[in-house]
Amino acid sequence: MKLHYGLDDLSEFDIVAFLPIILPIVAIGLILVLTALIDLYRHRERRENVLMWALIIIFANTIGSILYFVIGRKESGGR
Amino acid sequence: MNQFTVLVKKELIQLVREIKLVWFPLVFIFLGITQPVVSYYMPSILEMLGGGQGISIDPSMMAQSGGEVLASTLGSQFDQLGVMIIVISLMGIVQSDKASGMLAFILTRPVKVGSYLSGKVFSHYVFIAFSVAVGYIVSYIYTQFLFTGIPLEDLSIALLLYLLWVLFIVSFTTMISTIFNSQGVIALLSIAILLGCRVIVGLNPFLDTINPASMSTYGMELLVGGVLNSNVFWSILITLILSALAINISNTWISRKKYRID
Repeated sequence: MKLHYGLDDLSEFDIVAFLPIILPIVAIGLILVLTALIDLYRHRERRENVLMWALIIIFANTIGSILYFVIGRKESGGR
Repeated sequence: MNQFTVLVKKELIQLVREIKLVWFPLVFIFLGITQPVVSYYMPSILEMLGGGQGISIDPSMMAQSGGEVLASTLGSQFDQLGVMIIVISLMGIVQSDKASGMLAFILTRPVKVGSYLSGKVFSHYVFIAFSVAVGYIVSYIYTQFLFTGIPLEDLSIALLLYLLWVLFIVSFTTMISTIFNSQGVIALLSIAILLGCRVIVGLNPFLDTINPASMSTYGMELLVGGVLNSNVFWSILITLILSALAINISNTWISRKKYRID
Protein backbone atom coordinates (compact mmCIF):
# COMPACT_ATOMS: atom_id res chain seq x y z
CA MET A 1 0.00 0.00 0.00
CA LYS A 2 1.26 3.42 -0.87
CA LEU A 3 -0.19 6.31 1.08
CA HIS A 4 2.45 8.98 0.68
CA TYR A 5 2.82 10.78 -2.57
CA GLY A 6 5.50 13.28 -3.34
CA LEU A 7 5.70 16.01 -5.94
CA ASP A 8 7.71 13.66 -8.18
CA ASP A 9 4.73 11.33 -8.46
CA LEU A 10 2.64 14.07 -10.03
CA SER A 11 4.15 13.40 -13.42
CA GLU A 12 3.05 9.77 -13.21
CA PHE A 13 -0.62 10.75 -12.93
CA ASP A 14 -2.43 10.55 -16.20
CA ILE A 15 -4.03 13.95 -15.89
CA VAL A 16 -5.06 14.27 -19.52
CA ALA A 17 -7.26 11.19 -19.21
CA PHE A 18 -9.58 12.59 -16.59
CA LEU A 19 -9.19 16.29 -17.29
CA PRO A 20 -12.34 16.63 -19.44
CA ILE A 21 -14.37 15.01 -16.66
CA ILE A 22 -12.91 16.94 -13.76
CA LEU A 23 -12.68 20.32 -15.49
CA PRO A 24 -16.39 21.31 -15.31
CA ILE A 25 -16.46 20.57 -11.57
CA VAL A 26 -13.41 22.75 -11.01
CA ALA A 27 -14.86 25.47 -13.22
CA ILE A 28 -18.20 25.55 -11.39
CA GLY A 29 -16.51 25.60 -8.00
CA LEU A 30 -14.29 28.43 -9.20
CA ILE A 31 -17.22 30.46 -10.52
CA LEU A 32 -19.03 30.08 -7.19
CA VAL A 33 -16.00 31.18 -5.21
CA LEU A 34 -15.32 34.11 -7.55
CA THR A 35 -18.93 35.34 -7.47
CA ALA A 36 -18.92 35.18 -3.68
CA LEU A 37 -15.61 37.05 -3.42
CA ILE A 38 -16.64 39.74 -5.91
CA ASP A 39 -19.92 40.27 -4.10
CA LEU A 40 -18.14 40.43 -0.76
CA TYR A 41 -15.68 42.98 -2.14
CA ARG A 42 -18.37 45.18 -3.66
CA HIS A 43 -20.31 45.32 -0.42
CA ARG A 44 -17.32 45.29 1.91
CA GLU A 45 -18.43 48.40 3.76
CA ARG A 46 -21.83 47.08 4.70
CA ARG A 47 -20.90 43.53 5.65
CA GLU A 48 -19.85 42.37 9.06
CA ASN A 49 -16.77 40.17 9.47
CA VAL A 50 -15.46 40.69 5.96
CA LEU A 51 -12.16 38.96 6.69
CA MET A 52 -13.84 35.96 8.28
CA TRP A 53 -16.14 35.49 5.30
CA ALA A 54 -13.25 35.87 2.87
CA LEU A 55 -11.36 33.10 4.65
CA ILE A 56 -14.47 30.88 4.80
CA ILE A 57 -15.13 31.37 1.08
CA ILE A 58 -11.56 30.62 0.07
CA PHE A 59 -10.83 27.70 2.33
CA ALA A 60 -14.17 25.89 2.66
CA ASN A 61 -14.73 25.87 -1.04
CA THR A 62 -18.23 25.50 -2.52
CA ILE A 63 -19.80 24.93 0.93
CA GLY A 64 -18.20 28.17 2.11
CA SER A 65 -19.51 30.22 -0.78
CA ILE A 66 -22.98 28.69 -0.43
CA LEU A 67 -22.94 29.62 3.26
CA TYR A 68 -21.88 33.14 2.38
CA PHE A 69 -24.67 33.58 -0.16
CA VAL A 70 -27.28 32.21 2.21
CA ILE A 71 -26.26 33.59 5.60
CA GLY A 72 -23.56 36.17 5.03
CA ARG A 73 -25.61 38.38 2.75
CA LYS A 74 -28.46 38.62 5.20
CA GLU A 75 -26.28 39.65 8.11
CA SER A 76 -25.77 43.10 6.62
CA GLY A 77 -27.92 45.23 8.86
CA GLY A 78 -30.14 47.89 7.33
CA ARG A 79 -30.66 48.18 3.64
CA MET B 1 -51.17 44.21 -15.10
CA ASN B 2 -52.77 42.51 -12.17
CA GLN B 3 -51.36 42.15 -8.68
CA PHE B 4 -50.09 38.66 -9.21
CA THR B 5 -47.75 39.52 -12.10
CA VAL B 6 -46.50 42.62 -10.30
CA LEU B 7 -45.63 40.58 -7.22
CA VAL B 8 -43.97 37.87 -9.32
CA LYS B 9 -41.92 40.55 -11.02
CA LYS B 10 -40.89 41.97 -7.64
CA GLU B 11 -39.69 38.55 -6.53
CA LEU B 12 -37.71 38.12 -9.75
CA ILE B 13 -36.01 41.48 -9.22
CA GLN B 14 -35.14 40.36 -5.72
CA LEU B 15 -33.68 37.11 -7.09
CA VAL B 16 -31.46 39.09 -9.46
CA ARG B 17 -30.41 41.47 -6.71
CA GLU B 18 -29.39 38.65 -4.38
CA ILE B 19 -27.48 37.02 -7.29
CA LYS B 20 -29.46 33.93 -6.42
CA LEU B 21 -30.08 33.68 -10.15
CA VAL B 22 -26.40 32.82 -10.56
CA TRP B 23 -25.46 30.67 -7.62
CA PHE B 24 -28.56 28.57 -7.10
CA PRO B 25 -28.48 26.71 -10.46
CA LEU B 26 -24.69 26.40 -10.12
CA VAL B 27 -25.03 24.65 -6.77
CA PHE B 28 -27.47 22.14 -8.22
CA ILE B 29 -25.28 21.56 -11.26
CA PHE B 30 -22.42 20.94 -8.85
CA LEU B 31 -24.49 18.46 -6.83
CA GLY B 32 -25.62 16.79 -10.04
CA ILE B 33 -22.13 16.37 -11.45
CA THR B 34 -20.58 15.07 -8.24
CA GLN B 35 -22.56 11.85 -7.99
CA PRO B 36 -21.82 10.30 -11.42
CA VAL B 37 -18.16 11.31 -11.30
CA VAL B 38 -17.64 9.96 -7.79
CA SER B 39 -19.39 6.68 -8.61
CA TYR B 40 -17.36 6.39 -11.78
CA TYR B 41 -14.05 6.83 -10.00
CA MET B 42 -15.06 4.96 -6.82
CA PRO B 43 -13.12 1.78 -7.72
CA SER B 44 -9.89 3.66 -8.38
CA ILE B 45 -10.38 5.85 -5.29
CA LEU B 46 -10.83 2.75 -3.16
CA GLU B 47 -7.84 1.12 -4.78
CA MET B 48 -5.62 4.10 -4.03
CA LEU B 49 -6.72 4.72 -0.46
CA GLY B 50 -8.10 1.45 0.77
CA GLY B 51 -4.95 -0.62 0.88
CA GLY B 52 -4.70 -4.17 -0.27
CA GLN B 53 -5.48 -6.13 2.89
CA GLY B 54 -8.09 -8.62 1.84
CA ILE B 55 -10.35 -6.14 0.15
CA SER B 56 -11.62 -7.18 -3.20
CA ILE B 57 -13.86 -5.00 -5.31
CA ASP B 58 -16.86 -6.80 -6.65
CA PRO B 59 -16.77 -6.30 -10.42
CA SER B 60 -20.57 -6.38 -10.62
CA MET B 61 -20.68 -3.33 -8.33
CA MET B 62 -18.51 -1.42 -10.74
CA ALA B 63 -20.89 -1.84 -13.63
CA GLN B 64 -23.74 0.33 -12.44
CA SER B 65 -26.46 1.16 -14.89
CA GLY B 66 -27.15 4.78 -15.74
CA GLY B 67 -30.54 4.66 -14.03
CA GLU B 68 -29.03 3.61 -10.71
CA VAL B 69 -26.50 6.43 -10.80
CA LEU B 70 -29.12 9.03 -11.64
CA ALA B 71 -31.39 7.65 -8.93
CA SER B 72 -28.60 8.00 -6.41
CA THR B 73 -28.12 11.59 -7.57
CA LEU B 74 -31.73 12.23 -6.61
CA GLY B 75 -31.59 10.16 -3.45
CA SER B 76 -28.29 11.08 -1.92
CA GLN B 77 -27.42 14.50 -3.30
CA PHE B 78 -30.64 16.38 -4.01
CA ASP B 79 -32.57 14.83 -1.14
CA GLN B 80 -29.99 15.71 1.48
CA LEU B 81 -27.80 18.70 0.65
CA GLY B 82 -30.27 19.87 -1.96
CA VAL B 83 -33.21 19.95 0.44
CA MET B 84 -31.12 21.73 3.06
CA ILE B 85 -30.00 24.37 0.57
CA ILE B 86 -33.56 24.91 -0.69
CA VAL B 87 -34.88 25.29 2.86
CA ILE B 88 -32.08 27.59 4.02
CA SER B 89 -32.43 29.82 0.98
CA LEU B 90 -36.20 29.98 1.49
CA MET B 91 -36.29 30.48 5.24
CA GLY B 92 -36.68 34.23 4.92
CA ILE B 93 -39.36 34.06 2.22
CA VAL B 94 -42.06 35.60 4.43
CA GLN B 95 -40.04 36.07 7.60
CA SER B 96 -37.77 38.79 6.19
CA ASP B 97 -40.84 40.70 4.99
CA LYS B 98 -42.31 40.43 8.45
CA ALA B 99 -39.08 41.59 10.08
CA SER B 100 -38.54 44.57 7.79
CA GLY B 101 -42.17 45.69 8.01
CA MET B 102 -42.65 45.10 4.30
CA LEU B 103 -45.54 42.73 4.90
CA ALA B 104 -47.45 45.24 7.01
CA PHE B 105 -46.77 47.85 4.35
CA ILE B 106 -47.99 45.68 1.48
CA LEU B 107 -51.15 44.81 3.37
CA THR B 108 -52.06 48.48 3.80
CA ARG B 109 -52.40 48.53 0.01
CA PRO B 110 -55.36 46.90 -1.68
CA VAL B 111 -53.43 43.67 -2.19
CA LYS B 112 -55.01 40.34 -1.43
CA VAL B 113 -53.04 38.10 0.91
CA GLY B 114 -53.70 35.28 -1.53
CA SER B 115 -52.02 37.01 -4.44
CA TYR B 116 -49.09 38.06 -2.25
CA LEU B 117 -48.51 34.47 -1.13
CA SER B 118 -49.18 32.85 -4.47
CA GLY B 119 -46.84 35.30 -6.19
CA LYS B 120 -44.10 34.38 -3.74
CA VAL B 121 -44.62 30.64 -3.90
CA PHE B 122 -45.07 30.63 -7.67
CA SER B 123 -41.95 32.65 -8.50
CA HIS B 124 -39.73 30.79 -6.04
CA TYR B 125 -41.08 27.43 -7.09
CA VAL B 126 -40.56 28.08 -10.79
CA PHE B 127 -37.03 29.25 -10.12
CA ILE B 128 -36.12 26.31 -7.86
CA ALA B 129 -37.74 23.82 -10.24
CA PHE B 130 -35.67 25.31 -13.04
CA SER B 131 -32.47 24.96 -11.00
CA VAL B 132 -33.25 21.38 -9.99
CA ALA B 133 -34.08 20.49 -13.59
CA VAL B 134 -30.82 21.99 -14.83
CA GLY B 135 -28.85 20.05 -12.23
CA TYR B 136 -30.72 16.88 -13.11
CA ILE B 137 -30.11 17.29 -16.84
CA VAL B 138 -26.40 17.94 -16.33
CA SER B 139 -26.26 14.87 -14.12
CA TYR B 140 -27.99 12.91 -16.88
CA ILE B 141 -25.49 14.10 -19.49
CA TYR B 142 -22.64 12.95 -17.29
CA THR B 143 -24.35 9.66 -16.53
CA GLN B 144 -24.86 8.98 -20.20
CA PHE B 145 -21.25 9.83 -20.90
CA LEU B 146 -19.77 7.69 -18.13
CA PHE B 147 -22.37 4.93 -17.77
CA THR B 148 -25.38 3.97 -19.88
CA GLY B 149 -28.29 5.94 -21.27
CA ILE B 150 -31.78 6.10 -19.81
CA PRO B 151 -35.12 5.98 -21.67
CA LEU B 152 -36.35 9.50 -22.20
CA GLU B 153 -39.84 8.98 -20.79
CA ASP B 154 -38.53 7.43 -17.56
CA LEU B 155 -36.17 10.37 -17.27
CA SER B 156 -38.84 13.03 -17.68
CA ILE B 157 -41.49 11.30 -15.53
CA ALA B 158 -38.97 10.86 -12.70
CA LEU B 159 -38.09 14.54 -12.94
CA LEU B 160 -41.76 15.56 -12.83
CA LEU B 161 -42.35 13.36 -9.77
CA TYR B 162 -39.34 14.90 -8.09
CA LEU B 163 -40.57 18.41 -8.87
CA LEU B 164 -43.83 17.61 -7.05
CA TRP B 165 -41.81 16.84 -3.93
CA VAL B 166 -39.99 20.16 -4.46
CA LEU B 167 -43.40 21.87 -4.64
CA PHE B 168 -44.23 20.45 -1.24
CA ILE B 169 -40.85 21.60 0.14
CA VAL B 170 -41.46 25.14 -1.07
CA SER B 171 -45.00 25.47 0.24
CA PHE B 172 -44.16 23.81 3.54
CA THR B 173 -41.20 26.12 4.14
CA THR B 174 -43.41 29.10 3.28
CA MET B 175 -45.90 27.98 5.91
CA ILE B 176 -43.23 27.53 8.58
CA SER B 177 -41.71 30.88 7.61
CA THR B 178 -45.10 32.56 8.07
CA ILE B 179 -45.77 31.05 11.45
CA PHE B 180 -42.41 31.45 13.16
CA ASN B 181 -40.30 34.56 13.58
CA SER B 182 -36.75 33.37 14.10
CA GLN B 183 -34.74 32.23 11.08
CA GLY B 184 -32.94 29.55 13.05
CA VAL B 185 -36.16 27.98 14.26
CA ILE B 186 -37.58 28.08 10.73
CA ALA B 187 -34.56 26.40 9.19
CA LEU B 188 -34.27 23.80 11.93
CA LEU B 189 -37.96 22.86 11.96
CA SER B 190 -38.31 22.65 8.18
CA ILE B 191 -35.11 20.68 7.68
CA ALA B 192 -35.94 18.31 10.55
CA ILE B 193 -39.51 17.67 9.37
CA LEU B 194 -38.69 17.39 5.66
CA LEU B 195 -35.69 15.11 6.17
CA GLY B 196 -37.80 13.17 8.68
CA CYS B 197 -40.42 12.67 5.96
CA ARG B 198 -37.67 11.47 3.65
CA VAL B 199 -36.32 9.02 6.23
CA ILE B 200 -39.62 7.34 7.07
CA VAL B 201 -40.36 6.51 3.43
CA GLY B 202 -40.67 2.75 3.06
CA LEU B 203 -41.69 1.94 6.62
CA ASN B 204 -45.35 1.41 5.93
CA PRO B 205 -47.31 1.31 2.65
CA PHE B 206 -50.05 3.54 4.04
CA LEU B 207 -47.58 6.14 5.30
CA ASP B 208 -45.90 6.08 1.90
CA THR B 209 -49.15 7.01 0.23
CA ILE B 210 -49.66 10.12 2.32
CA ASN B 211 -45.99 11.06 2.53
CA PRO B 212 -44.93 13.69 -0.05
CA ALA B 213 -41.32 12.49 0.19
CA SER B 214 -42.33 9.19 -1.41
CA MET B 215 -42.60 11.08 -4.71
CA SER B 216 -38.82 11.12 -4.92
CA THR B 217 -38.67 7.39 -4.13
CA TYR B 218 -41.18 6.66 -6.88
CA GLY B 219 -38.95 8.62 -9.24
CA MET B 220 -35.93 6.60 -8.10
CA GLU B 221 -37.78 3.31 -8.48
CA LEU B 222 -38.76 4.33 -11.99
CA LEU B 223 -35.16 5.14 -12.87
CA VAL B 224 -33.76 1.93 -11.40
CA GLY B 225 -36.40 -0.62 -12.33
CA GLY B 226 -38.45 1.04 -15.02
CA VAL B 227 -41.76 0.39 -13.24
CA LEU B 228 -44.03 2.97 -11.71
CA ASN B 229 -45.54 2.22 -8.30
CA SER B 230 -49.25 1.42 -8.54
CA ASN B 231 -50.49 3.92 -5.95
CA VAL B 232 -48.53 6.81 -7.40
CA PHE B 233 -51.72 8.64 -8.42
CA TRP B 234 -53.03 8.79 -4.87
CA SER B 235 -49.66 10.08 -3.75
CA ILE B 236 -49.67 12.78 -6.41
CA LEU B 237 -53.15 13.82 -5.34
CA ILE B 238 -52.27 13.89 -1.65
CA THR B 239 -49.04 15.79 -2.26
CA LEU B 240 -50.94 18.45 -4.20
CA ILE B 241 -53.60 18.65 -1.47
CA LEU B 242 -50.96 18.95 1.27
CA SER B 243 -49.15 21.73 -0.62
CA ALA B 244 -52.40 23.61 -1.13
CA LEU B 245 -53.20 23.12 2.54
CA ALA B 246 -49.83 24.53 3.61
CA ILE B 247 -50.34 27.64 1.46
CA ASN B 248 -53.89 27.96 2.77
CA ILE B 249 -52.72 27.83 6.39
CA SER B 250 -50.24 30.64 5.82
CA ASN B 251 -52.97 32.57 4.00
CA THR B 252 -55.34 32.44 6.97
CA TRP B 253 -52.45 33.06 9.35
CA ILE B 254 -51.61 36.35 7.64
CA SER B 255 -55.22 37.42 7.07
CA ARG B 256 -56.06 36.99 10.73
CA LYS B 257 -53.00 39.10 11.58
CA LYS B 258 -51.60 36.42 13.80
CA TYR B 259 -48.07 37.31 12.84
CA ARG B 260 -46.24 39.55 15.21
CA ILE B 261 -43.13 41.59 14.69
CA ASP B 262 -40.83 41.69 17.64
